[in-house]
Amino acid sequence: MNATDSAFHRLRAANPVPQGSAVEAAALFDRITALPGGGGHPPRALWSRRPVLVLVLALAAGALLAATATALSNWFGDVIGAPQVNSEYSRAQTRLALPPGYAWPELHFPANSVTSRGAGGSYAVAIAQSAWECDWVRAIGVGDAVEQRRAHEALDELMANHAVVAPAGASENWAPPRSARTPTEVFADDGGFQYKERSYREAAAGHPQLLEQSCRANAPPGWHR
Amino acid sequence: MTPIPATVAEQRFRDVFSHLGAVTAYAHRRGSADADALAAETMAIAWRRLADVPSDDPLPWLYGTARNLLLAEARRAARRTVLREPDPFTPPPELHDLDPQLEHALRALRPLDREALLLVAWEDLTPAQAARVLGIGATAFRVRLLRARRRLRAQLEAAPHVHQAAQLAHVDVEGT
Repeated sequence: MNATDSAFHRLRAANPVPQGSAVEAAALFDRITALPGGGGHPPRALWSRRPVLVLVLALAAGALLAATATALSNWFGDVIGAPQVNSEYSRAQTRLALPPGYAWPELHFPANSVTSRGAGGSYAVAIAQSAWECDWVRAIGVGDAVEQRRAHEALDELMANHAVVAPAGASENWAPPRSARTPTEVFADDGGFQYKERSYREAAAGHPQLLEQSCRANAPPGWHR
Repeated sequence: MTPIPATVAEQRFRDVFSHLGAVTAYAHRRGSADADALAAETMAIAWRRLADVPSDDPLPWLYGTARNLLLAEARRAARRTVLREPDPFTPPPELHDLDPQLEHALRALRPLDREALLLVAWEDLTPAQAARVLGIGATAFRVRLLRARRRLRAQLEAAPHVHQAAQLAHVDVEGT
């Protein structure tokens, strides 16, 4: 055995998780296969809507052309620094509510960094979303039905009015023009938005596992208890 | 894309789903904040795009998808760090239990070289499978793997002392 192999075998032997394990596999399999998918074509009903879709797309294209001048003016000056990010984050706090007992964490955006306009608002929406998710999880834990409903309504409102899905293929810095005025969280076109919606639907139906995972994975330290 | 009948789809997905444990372990080893959730999302994507999943060997496709989710998770984590006090160096969980010398040697490798090594050493993939995970050709992968093995050996020989290198936290989000 040469020295290269020795180093490689040492690495192989150091595998920190040698055994693959997965919990609740059967239940997960059933949940996934209950979803649309499986490599088939979309349901027939979708195809019958094609003329309507064409009309909608044509109208959207017209609206886009009409808005081009505005859009062009918005493209310039869309890179902002720490002062503007902090300002957006503070302003967003006046538009968004947190559940009782939660406080806005201080934002530490690097002074020598820049980002897209609207990032401060986007941080605020993400924080509010995590707070309400954790509040919902806590309310489920203590059986507080009123607070559960309130958290669900708050999250639905955030998804409806403060979250958008970026167009397919858009850059990571894509921001909707409205984000400068309305705090808005941008989701990539990778199913994340739909995954959130599904987690809320399932939690409302008594299956809060995805909601709990989101709280645990996304909330600042101390918010998941 | 040819549609797959529902019963055939479910049977095919059962084969894909049999790799859930391997994908969960992969997510653990790469330091996912919630490996179970990431593996579940990987499987949900596989179900939605079952016609794209190679039926003869789905594992590289699953690892590739999980890797993309891990990179997205790392980007979200990087975004969240601006909401906290600056954190002293936190080693990625995948390296917590390694002996310090090996950990230091791995840290010193380029992210893609390290990933090439770990896909073969820890995930037990063949070079051809690992190449598909990274989306590169088999020949290019073999060159990368050979280079990575040499660099690992050189690091182990040259660095008897443990240093607290702090680069890994951000190099891990490098793409292919």
